Amino acid sequence: MLTPSASQQQPRFGSRISDAWTEISVVMRKVYLDHSATTPIDSRVLEAMLPYLTEKFGNASSVHMFGQEARAAVDKARRQVASLVGARANEVVFTSGGTEANNLAIRGICEVAKAHGRHVITSAIEHPSVRGVVDEIEKEGWEITRLPVYDNGIVRIDDLRAAIRPDTILISVMTANNEIGTNQPIAEIGALVVEEREHGHRHLCFHTDAVQAAGRLPIDVQALGCDLLSLSAHKIYAPKGTGALFIRRGVRLAPQQVGGHQERERRAGTESVANIVAFGTAAELAKKELDQRNDHTRRLRDRFETEVEDRIPDIVFNGDREQRLPHLSNISFRFIEGEGLLIHLDMQGVAVSTGSACSSGTLEPSPVIRALGRNEELARGAIRFSFGKDSTDEDVDYAVTALLRAVESLRELSPLSRKSLVAN
Amino acid sequence: MTLSYSDIFSDHLANPRNAGELADADVVAEETNPVCGDRLRLSLRIRDGRIDAARFLAYGCPPTLACGSAIAEMIQGTTIHEATKLTKNEIVAAVGGLPSRKQHAASLAIETLRAAIIKHASEDGE
Repeated sequence: MLTPSASQQQPRFGSRISDAWTEISVVMRKVYLDHSATTPIDSRVLEAMLPYLTEKFGNASSVHMFGQEARAAVDKARRQVASLVGARANEVVFTSGGTEANNLAIRGICEVAKAHGRHVITSAIEHPSVRGVVDEIEKEGWEITRLPVYDNGIVRIDDLRAAIRPDTILISVMTANNEIGTNQPIAEIGALVVEEREHGHRHLCFHTDAVQAAGRLPIDVQALGCDLLSLSAHKIYAPKGTGALFIRRGVRLAPQQVGGHQERERRAGTESVANIVAFGTAAELAKKELDQRNDHTRRLRDRFETEVEDRIPDIVFNGDREQRLPHLSNISFRFIEGEGLLIHLDMQGVAVSTGSACSSGTLEPSPVIRALGRNEELARGAIRFSFGKDSTDEDVDYAVTALLRAVESLRELSPLSRKSLVAN
Repeated sequence: MTLSYSDIFSDHLANPRNAGELADADVVAEETNPVCGDRLRLSLRIRDGRIDAARFLAYGCPPTLACGSAIAEMIQGTTIHEATKLTKNEIVAAVGGLPSRKQHAASLAIETLRAAIIKHASEDGE
């Protein structure tokens, strides 16, 4: 009888799982624990941007009053974003997002500095938007050194010092990692770059991707000593589609988008005024509420981790548990695979993410988790939980319960698990 | 989420059919996709040329779990001869369809079933 059962049929096995799902269907709620992927728009941000989608619709490059109204709004937002990272307003270039900011930084510097060298240093755990550009320029003949991160997920300054060559023109190391949240020694790198310059390495530039860190770590580009720093609006409760690149005064880079005079000739294209206004407002709020948000997410994250540790065996926390962003937890669950766990949680209303993907029969385990030295099973079983300013204790309670159910269900199915059942 | 799942697919995940292992299995086969590492184990109890009971265990992406559940359910009660005719497309249909990049999950299910049948035939013939 080769007939699949209909969904309403009773399962022949796993009644405990079935009971759990029946229970969850009664009390289902939505819990968003993927704030490192994106954040909801803050109502105050939405309120600030709405007029620029309606009556204040001018092009910021226009000379008339409609244009000047938009220009003033963009200028204000530029000051707000600059203030978030301790920059001057004219050091901020608005882009379409963090990816474009990273592309502009890396390609822009490489094009300008190639006469002085073709060596770039980066880390093994960069976001794909940095990793991708670096991979591309490598194909074009650039030499790349990718710094290891060891089991704590943090690059070592000695490795960087050893990697710097006379022909190194760019160091690009992220401020904090997007999957495991580990903070990188950016201030030390900045100090090393300054020291190198003082010793005659004039063309060495330092870029850091601060997309995950902004609004979560206090950032001051003067103290960090970076030349370029990437930001994204939608990670700090503003809409998708806008980012920024801090370019230190005096740093030259080749524009990657030409055909207009916007952004002081560094990024052509009509400004997305409403989105930029939203970004500015979100940046101001992020700076003002930084401690409050961090205290809140850290408390929830720590409570979540304590509960998970107490209730679920065979787990491994990924990345240094001290030097990391306060809102993020990355955990590998042994014997099971992350995508299955993600879907089980999703079916219970809990949104999380995994860095691994299985597609067309090939597995791409998270390069970040692999860089920690984890085996393939742990890399496949890694899940990122990222809390937000509006997450609640009830969210934590619900997520832990849902996670417990999902992990138990999947481990009962897993041939790798010590819990494999014998049934007749 | 990388897939949009059908109701039947989600139901296989939430309520896996015939999960576990048989204590009195006549044959157990486990196959691994060498590239992605997904695994499927089938244990079968066979009586008079018929699959009297089938159980599965699976490790891998959700389609692998769903296909394991589907195949274990579909083959239980069939003759060995009927089971050998089962195709990848029938498994795909049984879970409500799979995108092309996830069809390898159904292939793994069929390969594991065939491995079990061949193993049983060779052990039976010894």
